[in-house]
Amino acid sequence: MVDRRHPLLVAGRYLSLTAIAVVMLFPLAWMFRVGFMSPVDGLGVTALTTAGWTFQNFRDLFTQASLGWALFNSILVGGLVTIGNILFCFMVAYGLARYHTITNKVLFASVLIVLMIPMHIVTIPLYLLCLKTGLYDTYWVLILPWLVNPIGIFLVKQYVESIPPSMEEAARVDGAGELTVLFRVVMPLCRPALAVLAIQVFFTNWNSFLFPFILTSRESLRTLPVALALYQGHQAVDWPHLMAGSTVAVVPILIVFLFMQRQIVSGITAGAVKQ
Amino acid sequence: MLNSILRALIFFLLLSSAVAAQTTIEWWQFWTDPDIKPTIVAMVKEFERQNPDLRVNLTDLTWANGHEKIAIAFASGAAPDIVELGSDWIAQFASAGRLADLTDHVASQRLHYQGWTMATYNEKVFAKPWILGTRLLFFNRDLLKRAGYTADFAPVNWAELGHAIAAVSKLGSGIYGWGSNTAEKHRLYKKFMPFFWSAGGRIFSEDDRFCVISSQQAIEALKFYKSLHECCGYVADQRGIEDAFLEGKVGFVISGDWLLKRIELEERRINLGTVVMPGPGPDFSTSQVYDPNLQVTAYPGKSFMGGEFLAVNADSKNQLGAVKLIDFITSPENQLRFCKANRSANPSSREAQLDSYFQSNPHLQNFVMQLNLSAHPPVDPNWVYMETEIEAAVERVLFENAPPGETLRQLQKTITNLRKQ
Amino acid sequence: MRSSRSVDLSLTSPWTVTLLLFWAFPVAYSLLIGFTDYRLLIEGYRWVGWDNYRSLFRDPAFLTALENTFIFVLGTIPVTTVLALGMALLVNRQFRGRSFFRSAFFLPSITSMVVIALIFTNLFSRGGYIAFLAEMAGFSPPVHGFLYDSRTALYAIMGMDVWMSLGYFMLIFLAGLKSIPDELYEAAEIAGASPMRTFWSVTLPLLRPVAVFVVVINSIKSFQVFVEIFVMTRGKFDTATGVYFVYEQGLTTAFRMGYASAAAYILFVIIGVFSVLQFLVLRRRTALW
Repeated sequence: MVDRRHPLLVAGRYLSLTAIAVVMLFPLAWMFRVGFMSPVDGLGVTALTTAGWTFQNFRDLFTQASLGWALFNSILVGGLVTIGNILFCFMVAYGLARYHTITNKVLFASVLIVLMIPMHIVTIPLYLLCLKTGLYDTYWVLILPWLVNPIGIFLVKQYVESIPPSMEEAARVDGAGELTVLFRVVMPLCRPALAVLAIQVFFTNWNSFLFPFILTSRESLRTLPVALALYQGHQAVDWPHLMAGSTVAVVPILIVFLFMQRQIVSGITAGAVKQ
Repeated sequence: MLNSILRALIFFLLLSSAVAAQTTIEWWQFWTDPDIKPTIVAMVKEFERQNPDLRVNLTDLTWANGHEKIAIAFASGAAPDIVELGSDWIAQFASAGRLADLTDHVASQRLHYQGWTMATYNEKVFAKPWILGTRLLFFNRDLLKRAGYTADFAPVNWAELGHAIAAVSKLGSGIYGWGSNTAEKHRLYKKFMPFFWSAGGRIFSEDDRFCVISSQQAIEALKFYKSLHECCGYVADQRGIEDAFLEGKVGFVISGDWLLKRIELEERRINLGTVVMPGPGPDFSTSQVYDPNLQVTAYPGKSFMGGEFLAVNADSKNQLGAVKLIDFITSPENQLRFCKANRSANPSSREAQLDSYFQSNPHLQNFVMQLNLSAHPPVDPNWVYMETEIEAAVERVLFENAPPGETLRQLQKTITNLRKQ
Repeated sequence: MRSSRSVDLSLTSPWTVTLLLFWAFPVAYSLLIGFTDYRLLIEGYRWVGWDNYRSLFRDPAFLTALENTFIFVLGTIPVTTVLALGMALLVNRQFRGRSFFRSAFFLPSITSMVVIALIFTNLFSRGGYIAFLAEMAGFSPPVHGFLYDSRTALYAIMGMDVWMSLGYFMLIFLAGLKSIPDELYEAAEIAGASPMRTFWSVTLPLLRPVAVFVVVINSIKSFQVFVEIFVMTRGKFDTATGVYFVYEQGLTTAFRMGYASAAAYILFVIIGVFSVLQFLVLRRRTALW
């Protein structure tokens, strides 16, 4: 619907939009600005405008062990978990969508139930489990439990069900093995859903704090959010370095967001509104 | 040809057996700042030179989560050979059987070191004292001068302290008389306990049978501490308070010897004064007005004593090597070396304490004096939990206006119950 | 050629394994531990039945945590819902710069909660921007900063939480608005309805399922608030919430896992009951999925 309103109303709308945008963006803009300030500048209102712009904080991030490692860990873990989800959620979703057994009905119900379960209930037992099995404070604990995300199964299953099985049947008649059918025929068709899944999983994993925090303790194993939360400079809170690190945590998400808005939006709204 | 092959083989065998014969000692320690870590590393390297069959592997711990890491390591069987423990954690691990009994080994060393009481549980010694620590009253002489005090003034009882703090607070907005710690784990209680002990308060009775933390003296101490916080407190965490103090915004803070290091390393220009913690005075009077002509009796109080101890894992496979390393690190020469590098004021070695370095400036002298006027928390496996309760009680009084008497009585019940467990 | 049964089972095996190992087992284990006095640092444990639960309801720290959790949920959900709906309405029509504004509003939602908590720790501190704004508006902010005062700390965190979630829920409302067929609006216009009337009679009723979804999802999320509390106040100054209590009791200092697991289960049950109630009360007609 095109806006045909009175110019005063239009101006009013733009005014309120801008005001809201300022409120929403100011803290992030502040973070960005402070990341480029030197610790000696101080953080007063005037300092924000008069201080110079320096890359030193960002350079320090990579020379100081903690945050450089954290960035690497976040990328590594995020990448592996995303790839794993693409693979496994697809497999499971396909199985649930195409094979209508009672087991599968129960499994799908379990997916929905787990989606509703608050995560905090799992913290202590998972912690104990990891301690006793020696997985505590290793890369495994950052990856294994998160390889199959119920949201992913839900998303992809809906999508697979909307694809007619005729192509798979044709391929089978032609003599194609199950693996081929799965990965050569169906998977490419699911690219849109898998893209949404990948982004959803990557975002959630990149930003996640609770479990990476609880299940690891070595500094070299921390992911970016954990490293930032536990960052201890030698003086009082070193805001410029902390904000530089925060900027590094935000920028990749921002870039992905700018390029893949549609997928992100559809991922979020998938469960909310009947398509 | 065969000869040289044989020689190479023998050489290789000898080399591999030498390597195989090396045992690695795992040591977890807290000195990770870039200005002190090299000293630890240097000491370790020298130890390795003197003991070619021993290798030492250092792991860093931070004060934020070091205690938890150690606890988890012991619980999951992954603890190192040597662990550096804060004085108030020893009983917890000793009672769980995690630490090796060093009583026999240190029997001949008792007279040469200070601090054994903090490492003794059930009449056995479970750790060796390394670097001790206490808390001193730091103040800014310039602010006091501006408030009308003489250049050599130092408060010697609570009345003078209270008045000086109030006077500094009146100097203007942005200037506070007293650095008051916010609710910070393991920190807040170390600021309150000096007042508590100075007033004559005790956590447990002389015969150790009852908790007496809600005595009248304790209530007075809490009231006084709260009055400082309310009238003139700059509330922040330890770092924040120190920062403000070093920037000349706060008159009095309680801190340890690391503050001296900070001032020196950061080249801070502050007219620093230190004095041992004052006590209340015989009648707890805080109404006395400061009169420079009056001869006031100094009434020294008691400060908080703690320290770093080295303990051996009871399950360690390298106990002999571990004990060797501990003795090496805590030797008088190495303690002196460490203290000079770290500007620490209170080594545990009595020989090291005699060095003229510790008399080289009045602040170090005050630290030395204060250590001998200090008390430490009871050596109790449940101390960590009691400490949490004490901090919670103080927080309630400071930040939620809970009545001091009632809160302390409640605290007494809680601690009594904790002890029963 | 493998039987379709084994194909099916191996296809779904990743989920079966994950479900059993990382969900079903821990949830059951957590229930069991809740009936013991298990502490990580002490060997052995005893079965204590409902003792933990009884002690929890007499524990002032736990009751405060529950109270704070409820304040958090009941305080943020209505505000977030209304504001997000308002923002969605504002951005709904086609106009120049629409996608810019939509992205700007949404940006906080995709930022890590840790980053936001860190930023706001500074903004809320003594002498920070929010204190500055408060003074300009004529209020006198707490002397030591919003987060060092038990009257304001929790509300400050709540405000930040509302700010952060607005964009996310705005998107959901936008999708809901888009799903309302244009014909309905045209019909209302022909019938001579004012914009207000259209909103109340056409838009709102059809948005109900989306609104329910928003409220339920937001509640589940808000009941579990932890990151902000940990980063900004470590639970001090009356900001400890349910999950923070579980963390502090079970995974720090005391490692009282039996006690903490029981607390976690109480929270779990509360969330479940609350969600079901919301669902039933607010749902009425239209099916969601």
